[in-house]
Amino acid sequence: MKIKLNSIFVDDQSKGLKFYTEVLGFKLSKDIPMGEFRWLTVVSPEGPDDVELVLEPNANPASSVFQDSLFKQGIPITAFEVDDIQAEYERLKGLGVMFTREPMNVGVVTIAILSDTCGNLIQLYEVTA
Amino acid sequence: MLHKDLLHMLCLARDKLRLMQDSPLSVQQVADEVGMSLYHFIRLYKAVFGETPNQYQIRMRLEKAKLLLVASDLSITDVCMEVGYSSLGTFSDLFSRRFGMAPSTYREMFRPAVRVSDEVPRQFIPDCFSLMGGAPNLQSNIREASLI
Repeated sequence: MKIKLNSIFVDDQSKGLKFYTEVLGFKLSKDIPMGEFRWLTVVSPEGPDDVELVLEPNANPASSVFQDSLFKQGIPITAFEVDDIQAEYERLKGLGVMFTREPMNVGVVTIAILSDTCGNLIQLYEVTA
Repeated sequence: MLHKDLLHMLCLARDKLRLMQDSPLSVQQVADEVGMSLYHFIRLYKAVFGETPNQYQIRMRLEKAKLLLVASDLSITDVCMEVGYSSLGTFSDLFSRRFGMAPSTYREMFRPAVRVSDEVPRQFIPDCFSLMGGAPNLQSNIREASLI
């Protein structure tokens, strides 16, 4: 058994693809039309290329309620690891990304939290210890 | 940085933008209600949610219209009013531009699937849910799904 996919709800798949590729810097992996939606995945350019993040439509009302609730409580829906969180923070801030938490050391990791413009908060972390 | 209070304020604004039939608020009214200047509100909203308040309002209204078209007996004009538009022309034009077909065509195409099966039709289920093999039966019909 392997973990090859993880998914994240987005309120608009086109908007999500733009943010996750053009802003965060992931690479498009699969874009397959499926009725009204798309099977849309991205991978990290830093690898591994067979672990994909699915940009999943939140069209099901249950998922949008879940997404909204976490966002309102300021809870990140997932986390991505970075090598240099301060550099990444500066780069993303320069691109207009809004952070709800600036880089902050919390022990073994330094974290920051940003809005992905698709209804989610995302945590970035750098392992510092 | 976006502080917690400001985040709450923007979420509140988004909830207000989503209100439709009872008393739809303009973007200016929502900005006033959350105590921000219109320019500051639009700029901040777009940075956090990736679209302007106006774009969000239109998207939400049209998504709701889509559900009403397939799951209710309301006329196209009533659907238009229900989602907060007073002009049928504006509503039809926005709907056609976003979904590639007129509201009446959309209803003709998708309503039978809902009426016959009384379940959420496949085209409304994100395929990733289908892949995971669960969601279609979580709600017994599309009306119930929309009320959650």
